Amino acid sequence: MATVSFQNIEKSFGSTKVIQGISFDIREGEFMVLVGPSGCGKSTLLRMLAGLEEITGGTIAIDDKVVNDIESKDRDIAMVFQSYALYPHMTVGENMAFSLKLRKADPKMMADRVAHASKILNLDPYLARFPRELSGGQRQRVAMGRAIVRDPKVFLFDEPLSNLDAKLRVAMRAEIKALHQRLKTTTVYVTHDQVEAMTMADRIVVMHDGRIEQIGAPLELYDHPDNLFVAQFIGSPSMNVMNGKVKRGGGPAHVEVAGGVRWPLQQGPGTEGQAVAYGIRPGDLRLTSADADGAVPAEIVVVEPTGSETELLLQAGEDQLILVTHGRPNVNPGDRIGLTIDPAKVHVFDQGTGARLAA
Amino acid sequence: MKLRTWRQAGTEAKLLLIGIPLFIWTMLPIYHLCLFAFSSKDEAMGGRMWPEHPTLHNFEVVFREQHHYLNHFWLQMWNSLFIAVTVGLLTLVVATSAAFAISRLKVRGGRTVMNLALFTYFIPAAFLAVPMYKTMGVYGLLNNQWALILAMTTIAAPYSIWVLKQASDKLPWELDEAAKMDGATPLQLFRLVYLPLMTPSLVAIGTYALLLAWNEYLYAFLLLSNDRDVTLGVALGNFLAADDSPWELLMTTGLIYALPPAAIYYTFKRYMVGGLTAGAVKS
Repeated sequence: MATVSFQNIEKSFGSTKVIQGISFDIREGEFMVLVGPSGCGKSTLLRMLAGLEEITGGTIAIDDKVVNDIESKDRDIAMVFQSYALYPHMTVGENMAFSLKLRKADPKMMADRVAHASKILNLDPYLARFPRELSGGQRQRVAMGRAIVRDPKVFLFDEPLSNLDAKLRVAMRAEIKALHQRLKTTTVYVTHDQVEAMTMADRIVVMHDGRIEQIGAPLELYDHPDNLFVAQFIGSPSMNVMNGKVKRGGGPAHVEVAGGVRWPLQQGPGTEGQAVAYGIRPGDLRLTSADADGAVPAEIVVVEPTGSETELLLQAGEDQLILVTHGRPNVNPGDRIGLTIDPAKVHVFDQGTGARLAA
Repeated sequence: MKLRTWRQAGTEAKLLLIGIPLFIWTMLPIYHLCLFAFSSKDEAMGGRMWPEHPTLHNFEVVFREQHHYLNHFWLQMWNSLFIAVTVGLLTLVVATSAAFAISRLKVRGGRTVMNLALFTYFIPAAFLAVPMYKTMGVYGLLNNQWALILAMTTIAAPYSIWVLKQASDKLPWELDEAAKMDGATPLQLFRLVYLPLMTPSLVAIGTYALLLAWNEYLYAFLLLSNDRDVTLGVALGNFLAADDSPWELLMTTGLIYALPPAAIYYTFKRYMVGGLTAGAVKS
């Protein structure tokens, strides 16, 4: 177990700056997920921690020891690659033992470690097989086994599930999570999939354009996104966002958007006339009748039942939005309905900066 | 169904129409080589398509070195073998190290070096023979088999480097990174990961360089002159020095000379189609 600390990390490829001065700490035993759209710098950051990429500026420390100039093999970290990167000419057992063999470890200890790892990962029947004889999920497990055998201070995962099909991905997600709960090794996990991030992380770092947008526990990011980017990136389906202006005079506070639709607002955020982005999660919209008091009028465009819940695509004024309900509402495309909103669940952001306005 | 069978037969016939003449075209000289080898001296020039009294007498003469052109047959055969195998191995050492450095270690200027080496192919090897002769003279290597070995390695290396570089570019980069994180030094990476995965290409390139040296005539003729040093190929050329060349012995020796390359080719053919990287990474 170890802590990891990033201080003012910068990375440039030629004249292109891909990471713009990032600082954060990872606690001992924490499962930290770096998430963001492709090109946000999350993989580069991980590779710098791994020692596979030069650090342009700033320092990375593992257990308070700066590792900038330490070679990756001496950083006591193990990495699981997206493409598994198994040695094709070695058996599963040899793949897992390779790092220990290079360190000239005691053969008895080597055998014990491999046996231990293969037991945890249910790889016992496959130890003598070659990677080409394994399925995708098994190969992924061997890649993890190779990391476990090392008993490193920090595990690094670089989009390890991207190559698996949807069903296997969910299964492996749980397996990695269970593995972490068992080994309690500090883990840095990179993904572009926010569902993976939400379900696995102790804390999430949301990255965008080489910067950190927000760091926090999954539900904290979901409930209190610092800015419009995080609000829209976290959560599926993503948050509905309407652009409008704050109106406070004459009746209850609201945001008026193009087309004259009025969205209710708490007393707090935004000054009169301020241009804001009004956000509401699909699950926080409630269906009611079109003529209900204070309801926002909308029309149903598409109904998508998924069994456990129903997703409705709605048209309100000039905006399209999504509503998710656990019930099975008896509505059809073209129906006029009303929407009620708990103003406490509304997120308001400045249109220009995207920053959250204090509620 | 019947129509399809007819169509298949038609395709087959068209292929045969091209294939048969091509087969005859290729095999005819080889057939004549064999015809001479299995005929007696008198019969050989008779113009028959089939030897009336096939004989192994020529082979006996060759193997027992019973002709003055063949006094050093076994020694020259050994010379050819020694030189070809050494060139094959030396080329592998040079080309594999170069390809690893250029493709995997990304040594600065590596690509330029490779392109410069390839540039030498713009000049036909025959034009370089005399400069090479001069160079070997400067180093005092004339009439030394190492002159031929070094010259042939020089000729084989650029192409070999290029082929091996292309092959190593196809190895997944993550393997290097995984090995690096597992604690492998560049040399361990080379020995434990790179070489095993490159085996098919190495066999192919080794065979290529070996056959190139085995079949070389011009350089061998120029750089070696002592009867006890020359390769069998050069010795065969010497047959033509006399007016009454013993054709049947020349052809017999030629046939024997052609067998090792054929054997090598068929032995290593399966290595030349590689699939060793299957399963390394998801493609």
